[in-house]
Amino acid sequence: MTDERELDPATEFRQLYDQQYLSVYRSIRGVVLDPTAAEDLTQETFVRAYRARHRYTPTAPPGAWLRRIGINLAISYLRRQKLARVLPARLYMAPDRRDYDRAEARDVVTKAMTALSPKLRAAIVLHYYDGLTREEIASVLGVPAGTVASRIAKAVAIMRKSIGSDQDLGPERSNSEGALRGR
Amino acid sequence: MKVPYVEDKPTPGGFRTPSEDDLGRMIRDTVESWNPRRGPDSGPPPWLLYTAASAALVVILLAAFLIGSALQIGALGPQPVNATLH
Repeated sequence: MTDERELDPATEFRQLYDQQYLSVYRSIRGVVLDPTAAEDLTQETFVRAYRARHRYTPTAPPGAWLRRIGINLAISYLRRQKLARVLPARLYMAPDRRDYDRAEARDVVTKAMTALSPKLRAAIVLHYYDGLTREEIASVLGVPAGTVASRIAKAVAIMRKSIGSDQDLGPERSNSEGALRGR
Repeated sequence: MKVPYVEDKPTPGGFRTPSEDDLGRMIRDTVESWNPRRGPDSGPPPWLLYTAASAALVVILLAAFLIGSALQIGALGPQPVNATLH
């Protein structure tokens, strides 16, 4: 967890909101892959956390507590909306050819993430973006650390395969290889 | 799909497939490019809004008082005096 100082949700909720909003938003967006839904769910996360702020027990950092609320909300949202199966078709749009290589690589990554289940996406985002250990992710997701490890491995394998096959689409896609391999 | 997890042994990349390290960097780079349209940093801070609103209210009240006094209108104008004494 990258908190400079662990804030008390009961007395320092406003500061906690300012400190954690962006990373909670990004973690949730990594699960739902929809910017508008991610913003709504982030707001809902902080509303629920505010109502429960006096019940917070410092067994985990407040950032992990917020992520747990947010990711559970995101997974519930996808389950409720039954969006998981239609996400690939709905979210992926062909990249604008005027975009630079980095932007194109982001599109490739986003497309590869749509191939994952929400639980795999949560593990990937918490591991690679938030930099959480397997034990911390296990605490956030409420699953054993071994399950987290296998989810990360499975997600990495699927994404590598997806990105690799994306590079095989033909000559018009070959320019993106520089963005993927050159970093 | 069952995939064995091998700890501390990043998978090397092939010609077209990114390595695990590359993939991690790509994911991080992608996620860090996601910014919300609203949030704690969007718009002026609340204290600035309240201060500006309070200052505007003071200016409006003061202007209304000065204008009312100058034009002698409303309660700020001369009041009729009851000259009849009982």
